[in-house]
Amino acid sequence: MTLSLVLLLGTPILSGLGSLMLRDRRVVEALQYGQAAILLAAGALVVREVGTGAPVTFGLLLYTDALSAWLDLVLAVVGATGTLFAVGFLGEHLDRGLLSVRRFRQFFCLFDLFLAAMLVAVNVADVAIMWIAIEGSTLAAALLIAFERNKAALEAGWKFMILGSVGIALALFGTIILYFTSEHVLGVTSDALRWPELYRIASSLDPTAIKVAFVFVLIGYGTKAGVAPMHSWLPDAHAEAPTPVSAMLSANMLTVAVYAILRFKVVADRTVGTAFTGNLMIGLGLLSVAIAAILLLVQRDYKRLFAYSSIEHIGIALIGFGIGGAGVFAGAWHLLNHALAKSTAFYGAGWVLLRHEHKMLDRVTGLLRQMPLAGSAIVIAGVALAGLPPFGLFASEVLITVGTYAARPGVAYLFLSLLTLAFATLLYHVLRMALGEPTEAGRAVGARSRVLLSAAIVINLSALGAIGLQIPLDLARMLEAIVRLFDTRVGIP
Amino acid sequence: MGMVRPDIGSQMVDLCAALLLVSCFAIVAQRRLSACVDMFALQSAFLAATAALVALLTGIHHIYFAAVLTVGIKVIVIPRILKKVVERLNVKRELEMNVNIPAGLLICGALVILAFFIIRPIIPLGFFLTRDSLSIALAILLIGFFTMIARKKAVTQVIGFLVMENGLFLGATVAAYGMPLIVELGVFFDVLVAVLIIGIYSHRIQDAFDSVDTSKLSVLKE
Repeated sequence: MTLSLVLLLGTPILSGLGSLMLRDRRVVEALQYGQAAILLAAGALVVREVGTGAPVTFGLLLYTDALSAWLDLVLAVVGATGTLFAVGFLGEHLDRGLLSVRRFRQFFCLFDLFLAAMLVAVNVADVAIMWIAIEGSTLAAALLIAFERNKAALEAGWKFMILGSVGIALALFGTIILYFTSEHVLGVTSDALRWPELYRIASSLDPTAIKVAFVFVLIGYGTKAGVAPMHSWLPDAHAEAPTPVSAMLSANMLTVAVYAILRFKVVADRTVGTAFTGNLMIGLGLLSVAIAAILLLVQRDYKRLFAYSSIEHIGIALIGFGIGGAGVFAGAWHLLNHALAKSTAFYGAGWVLLRHEHKMLDRVTGLLRQMPLAGSAIVIAGVALAGLPPFGLFASEVLITVGTYAARPGVAYLFLSLLTLAFATLLYHVLRMALGEPTEAGRAVGARSRVLLSAAIVINLSALGAIGLQIPLDLARMLEAIVRLFDTRVGIP
Repeated sequence: MGMVRPDIGSQMVDLCAALLLVSCFAIVAQRRLSACVDMFALQSAFLAATAALVALLTGIHHIYFAAVLTVGIKVIVIPRILKKVVERLNVKRELEMNVNIPAGLLICGALVILAFFIIRPIIPLGFFLTRDSLSIALAILLIGFFTMIARKKAVTQVIGFLVMENGLFLGATVAAYGMPLIVELGVFFDVLVAVLIIGIYSHRIQDAFDSVDTSKLSVLKE
C-alpha cells in the first residue's frame, strides 16, 4: 500500500545524495533518468490508491489524502520532466565548458533535495514538520537560484532568501498559535499538530486565535507562493535562476506554498466559517491578478514574462479556493494545469536561451521556423496559459468567473477585465516570438541535449492535452474528494 | 510547580521575556556589527534562561533539551560564524541606514504596542504561567522583521532574521510549552543551515559587488 509513497519520497533523496557522492557524469545522469522514471510510476500509483477512497497513512508520520495526492501528481510529473530537462540543459552547459563536473553534481544534489523537500511537505501529517520541509525547500531553492553566481543571480537569490525567510518565520508564528489553541483542546501532545486530529476538533478551537493564525499563515506562505504584495522576489528569482529551476519554482514551489495555505484554510473554515478565509484569499488573489496583468505589459525579458504570468495564475487559483464550492474544484484543476503549462513554457524558454544566450523578448522572433519544437512548446503553453480551449485552464477560469459572478458581480467584472488584459498581452508576446522570420542564428544545441529537452516537452504537452480534453476518472474522483474536504458541512474520514 | 507560587513563577517568566525584548532594543540601537552579534548572543542566553525556567516550573523535561540546544547553537556556534563573517568581510560599522536609530527605536516602541494589541484577545486561552509573554514574543518577531528592513548590511539583516527566530522560539515555549522535540530539532537544523547559506552568500556578494551593502544589489529593476 505505502510502497509507492516511500518510493516517491525516497527516490529524490537517494538520487540527490548519490549525485553528490558519485564522481562520474554518466552515472549522475543515469541516476536522474532513474529518478524521472520512478517518479512518474510512483506518482501514478499514489494517485490510483488515494483516488479511490480513504487517505493512505504510514505510521504517524505520513498522511496522504486526496489533496496531498493531487500535489504528488503535480510534483511527480513536473519533477520527472524537470529532471530530464535539467539533465539536457546543464549537460549542454557542461559540454560548452561553462560548468565543471563538480558543479554539475552539486546542482543535481540540490535539485533533487529541493524536490524531495517539497514531496515530504505535502505528505506529512504534522503541521510543524510540513513547515520544516518547506523551509528546507526554501534553503535549497536559495542556493539553486544563485547557482550561476553572477551579479544578477546573487541579487535575486539574496532577495529570495531574505523575503522567503521572513515569510516562513511569519508562517511558523501562525503554526505556533494554531498549536497554542489546539493544545488547549487536546492537551500537551504531538497529536495537537496533526492534520487529521486538527480537522476532527476544528469546531471546538478558539475562533479569534484561529483568525490570527490564519492571517500569519496566509501572509507567510503567501510570500512563498508569490502572492501580491509580497511577490517582489518572484520575477527576479524566476528570471535569474537556471531555467530548469525556474520551471520547478513556478510549477512546484508556488503550488506547494498554496497547498500549505489550503491545509490551514480547511481547519479555519471549520472553526470560523468560510467567509473569513474566503474574503482574504479573494482580496489577495485579485490584487495578484491585477499587479501581474499590468506588469505583463512592460516586460522585456521572456523569462520575466512567464514569471509574472505565474503570479497571475496563483492569484486566479486563490480566488477559486476563496469562493468555495465549484471554485475549489476549479482552483485545484487550475493548479495542476498551470503547473504543466508553465513548466512547458519554461522548457521552451530554456531551449531558446541555450540557443540565443540572451533573454531579451524583442530580439527573439521566428521561433516556429527556427526551432519548431521549442517554438510550438511556447505557443501551445502560451495559448493554454492565456486561458483558451481546449486546455484545462479555460475550464477552470470559466468556472471561477461564474462562481465569482454568483457571489459578487462587481468582483467578477474586475476579474474578467484583468484576465482579458493578461490574455491579450501574453498572447501578443508569445505569438510575436513564434511567428515571422528568425533574425538571429544563435548557437546550435547538442544532439543529446535536444533529445532530452524534447522528451520533457513532449511528456508535458501530452499530459496537458490529454487532461484538457477530458478529465480522467481517477482525477475526477480526487477532485470530488478535495471539494468534500473543503465542504464544512461534511465530516472528514 | 510545587516549590514556586504560580503568580511568582509567572512574573519570573515575564521578567525573562522582558529582558529579551530589551536586548532587541539594544540591537536596534547598535551601530557596530560585532556588538550587534554580541547582543544577539546575549539575547539567546536570555532565551535559554526563559526556556530553562519554564521547564523548571512546569516539569516538562524536553524544554531543558531545547534550552541546551539554544545555548549550543545560538549562543556559541552562530555568533562565532557571524564574527568570522564580519572579520573576513572587514566591515566594522553600519554608517548608513534606511531608518536612523532614534526613529528606529520609536518605531520599535510602536511595534510592541501593536503586538500587545494583536495578542490581547487570545491571551485568556493560555497557561497562567506564561500567557503574558506571547505578546512579547510577537513584539520580538516584529522588531526582527523591522531590523531586516531598516538595515543595509547583509550581516545585520541576518541578525534581524535570527532575532525573528528568537521571537518564534520564545512564542513556542511560552504559548505551547515548547513544540514537540522533533520539531524543535528540525527548526534548529534549518536555522543553522540558513545561517551557513547566508554566510556563503555574503562572501559571494562581497566578491561580485566589492561590498556587503545590500543596497548595492540593484541590478534587477522593473
